[in-house]
Amino acid sequence: MAEGEEITISIPADIYKKIEERIKDTEFNSVSEYVTYVLREVLASLEEEEAEEVFSEEEEEKVKERLRALGYLD
Amino acid sequence: MVKVFVIGLDSAPPELLFNEFIDDLPNIKKLIEKSIYGAMKSCIPAITIPAWMVMATGKTPGELGLYGFRHRKGNSYRDIWIAHSLMVKEKAVWDYLGERGYKSVVLGVPPSYPPKKINGWMVGCFITPDSSTNYTYPAELKSEIERVVGDYIFDVVFRKENRDEVKEKIWEMTEKRFELIRYLIETKDWDYFEFVEIGLDRIHHAFWKYFDENHHLHEPNSPYRNVIPDYYKLLDKEIGKTLKLLDEDTAVMIVSDHGIKRMKGCFAINQWLIDEGLLKAEYEKGKFTRFEQLNVDWSETVAWAWGGYYARIFLNVKGREPNGVIRLSEYDRVRDEVAEMIKSIRGPNGEKWDTKVFYPEEIYPTAKGDKPDMMVYFDDLYWRSAGTLGWETNYLLENDTGPDDAVHSEYGVFALHTPDMEESKAVECTIYDFAPTVLSLFGLRDIAGMLRGRVLFDGS
Repeated sequence: MAEGEEITISIPADIYKKIEERIKDTEFNSVSEYVTYVLREVLASLEEEEAEEVFSEEEEEKVKERLRALGYLD
Repeated sequence: MVKVFVIGLDSAPPELLFNEFIDDLPNIKKLIEKSIYGAMKSCIPAITIPAWMVMATGKTPGELGLYGFRHRKGNSYRDIWIAHSLMVKEKAVWDYLGERGYKSVVLGVPPSYPPKKINGWMVGCFITPDSSTNYTYPAELKSEIERVVGDYIFDVVFRKENRDEVKEKIWEMTEKRFELIRYLIETKDWDYFEFVEIGLDRIHHAFWKYFDENHHLHEPNSPYRNVIPDYYKLLDKEIGKTLKLLDEDTAVMIVSDHGIKRMKGCFAINQWLIDEGLLKAEYEKGKFTRFEQLNVDWSETVAWAWGGYYARIFLNVKGREPNGVIRLSEYDRVRDEVAEMIKSIRGPNGEKWDTKVFYPEEIYPTAKGDKPDMMVYFDDLYWRSAGTLGWETNYLLENDTGPDDAVHSEYGVFALHTPDMEESKAVECTIYDFAPTVLSLFGLRDIAGMLRGRVLFDGS
């Protein structure tokens, strides 16, 4: 998939209507724009959460100890 | 069909690889005789993390939001997070290539733990906690690795007095890594292959004083004096065996994240900040104290620092830090003043230092994430920064946290050989030129053109 390419997906009509209502008089020009915005935000926050859980407490101590012994955390 | 094979040698300096040792390295010599090659300027900071990802993404540390191995959590005084692969949000060359169907093997390129999903295969780097974790993508690759080399070795902790053990273990690690590399070359249908051998950096740090006659602690005729040259010979031998397996139409690159040079000493930056009245805390001389253990009076502290191969300085800003004292309107003035004080620090014998102070938002197009207020290279990196306290003097002739004789230098190496090159050509380049050059080899000139670096070879 090339960057910038767009794909059509389906959402229930009632959600579409609700979004249409919501974006009236806002900066959003279309429902697609709004949906993309919301999904991007959700994905980013999920990624952030996942990112924080990479090391268990014990693993993090182990890595810190090693990095200290290697001179990166003096 | 293009293939590109990248040999990453952590901390390889141009002075040794391309000059002093080159006649003892027949395989590397043969390669660079038909290459464009030269010294490659690293990023600021010239540190393993972020440098390898700066190289792979073509983005600055500021754009990546990666300034070293650790970062502050928010604006806290003591909480830190350790850099890992998921904090890299920008695309690396293998991501761009994957989108176009090219497959990559990426092995040990820091930070690559946890292993990321790519179009190909990924093996974790030295920040992998240990071999019991899932350190490969796809997960099944791990059992293949264990079958080929047994227990895989990610790194060797070198700051121990038992140098024989360090040496032996680094040799074993490197031999295993190359065995695995050769296995992956032969069994995977890759288009792009990049690996990083961390052993070279560990060898440099652990054995530099035995090798470099100009080192202030040089021990002539030490039994370890040839460890560094011998390790280069080991690398050359392993590289030679490996290159034999590549198709003739494969482009081969040799790169490093930064160079290396003798350490002149360590500067106890937090002790100095206390002497200057910028950090309010008490410590006992003769009692080794980490900064985390120090009892700081934050209500009277202007600045504090982290050590490492370069120093990070943090300012205590009102509204930002929990007990900040510097008003935002005074921030620029205070930072400039502290920077001037740091730049005027002289060496132990009153000698002038070539100290550089960098402000993140000035040297990058954007400075994301948990950035320090200043980054400092003491005497052009010849002096490490010690964040620890309890020393009799601010100038330590030995490293503060275990034996280590070398520091980083700003210039690493770059070499690119393509099958149609018949002679060598010198090239001046920076770490930012790597990604556009690789992408261009695969014909992705549109993406290469969007990155800040230059394409060093356009195929003609």
